[in-house]
Amino acid sequence: MSTAMLADMLMLGGGIQRSFGELLETRGYELRVSPKGTLPFDTEATIPGWGTLRDSVGGVAGVDRVAPVLAMSVSVEVEGEEGRGGARRTLALGLDAGNRSLYEVVEGDGPGAGEALVDARLAEALGVRTGGRLRLGTAAEFGTWGRSASVRVSGTGNFVFATARDMPVALPLADLQVLSGLEDEVSFAMIRVSAGVDPEAVRAGVAAVAERVEVVTLAGISDKLDERLSYFRQVAAILGSVSLLVAVLLIGTITAVSVSERLGVIAAVRAIGVARRRVVGELVAESVVLAAVGGGAGIGLGVVVAGYLESILAGLPGLPAAVRFFVLQPGSLATAYGLVIASGAVAGAVPAMRATGREATELLRRAEP
Amino acid sequence: MSAVVAAREVTRDYLRGRTRVRALRGATVTVAKGDFLAVTGPSGSGKSTLLHLLGGVDVATSGEVLFLGRDLARLSVEERAALRLREVGLVFQRFHLLPMLAAIENVELPLAAARVPRRERRERAAAVLERVGLGDRLRHRPSELSGGQCQRVAIARALANDPALVLADEPTGELDTATSRRVLSLLRELNAAGTTVVVATHDLELAAGAGRRIRVVDGRTRP
Repeated sequence: MSTAMLADMLMLGGGIQRSFGELLETRGYELRVSPKGTLPFDTEATIPGWGTLRDSVGGVAGVDRVAPVLAMSVSVEVEGEEGRGGARRTLALGLDAGNRSLYEVVEGDGPGAGEALVDARLAEALGVRTGGRLRLGTAAEFGTWGRSASVRVSGTGNFVFATARDMPVALPLADLQVLSGLEDEVSFAMIRVSAGVDPEAVRAGVAAVAERVEVVTLAGISDKLDERLSYFRQVAAILGSVSLLVAVLLIGTITAVSVSERLGVIAAVRAIGVARRRVVGELVAESVVLAAVGGGAGIGLGVVVAGYLESILAGLPGLPAAVRFFVLQPGSLATAYGLVIASGAVAGAVPAMRATGREATELLRRAEP
Repeated sequence: MSAVVAAREVTRDYLRGRTRVRALRGATVTVAKGDFLAVTGPSGSGKSTLLHLLGGVDVATSGEVLFLGRDLARLSVEERAALRLREVGLVFQRFHLLPMLAAIENVELPLAAARVPRRERRERAAAVLERVGLGDRLRHRPSELSGGQCQRVAIARALANDPALVLADEPTGELDTATSRRVLSLLRELNAAGTTVVVATHDLELAAGAGRRIRVVDGRTRP
């Protein structure tokens, strides 16, 4: 059990940061531009005056491509079913044409003008297919709509950064800007750096021409995430340490009881003349085998428990569903296994050294009547 | 005859809690090669302590113990352990066999500790067990043997490294009369074959069967 918890804590300790970092890197954009003091998807704050800012950012040396994103909450309903109470709130992402970095198409194609790509789960929930029509609006309360637009479903897809509860739709940036009334605003932008150029140098260049926004590299996002997740790491470190301590105490107790029960044999073996290091070595080997067998079972249990906990934590609001809390890393498992075996050796050595440190005659006096 | 071990005016003090207890108060004894010596005396008189000093299991507080001419007080704990391994065979009242090992493996234990090659130690262990009459019990574990058979395995283990001296502390203490007689008979056979034997015992029949007897009373040896 201790090994299972230790393995889980090691997986949890760096798992989410690693998983999120890998997710960011797969998208192919090295920089993010967001409103001052925020990260992408952090708030509903937007960057005003995007048209001007885009020109400035696009002119920075080393910038290969700028991909703005407008994210906002919208109501969505199958066209023809308005007013039947079937409107859902969901996240809408306005993207430049050709920017497919935030979703993967499952069926159909990306959205053109007057079209939307719908999250596959949302499409299923709404009962809509490619070619069907949806009504998107800024509000749909008590059967009334605010600004709204009729869109054709261009296809379905999986959204990379969607949380477990989000079932987003993607549509052209210009369409969403018109729908929302935020015609020169975006939520954040992704910047692709030219091949062979240092992202940090480009970040500094963009920051110099865009002082009123936050410009961060993927490493910077990872660091900020790391700060926010320090609580997780601290809890993992404490629980991991406690697990290790419990393992040491358990193995130490088992070995101490075993030594105590076999004091007569140990006394006799020492009296016969077997060297102390050999006797200690045998006892330590026993506790190491105990730790190795128990640790092996514990690692297996840890992996199973991690899978179970992952399924619970996957629904945590605010984090992309693709992010994993427990990342199965051979290094973490090897570390957990190594620590438990080393603990077994230490826990076995202490009672063994104490028992054999006495003169053989003293051991015999204790063992013989 | 040359002395295998000689103790002269040895004392041994122990701390029991904060109280100093003197277990031996000046014991003197010489064991010659080929002796069969019985050490008798009441419980707590110091018999086991004297045996442990003779075998280098313990060291005297004062006095001198010479084992094959070597002063045991000058040897370190591990040097004495090495000496015991090769020159002293110990037999205990409670046998102290390793329960998870077969009879032959128990006898191999001191041979393995003395780094005797695997094949040779197996042959020697089998031969010693044959010698104590357990040639048909090589693969039996202690739980599958009677008390007398266990003690014979323990004696075989004591003989495995062909020691200069066999020390047996109450070897019949846990055995019934008939079995005790068989163990006594075995010890006499071994002595007749040249093994030097010292036995600490309450058993008058065992003591009577020894070639020589001394008594330990109040920590002192008496003829």
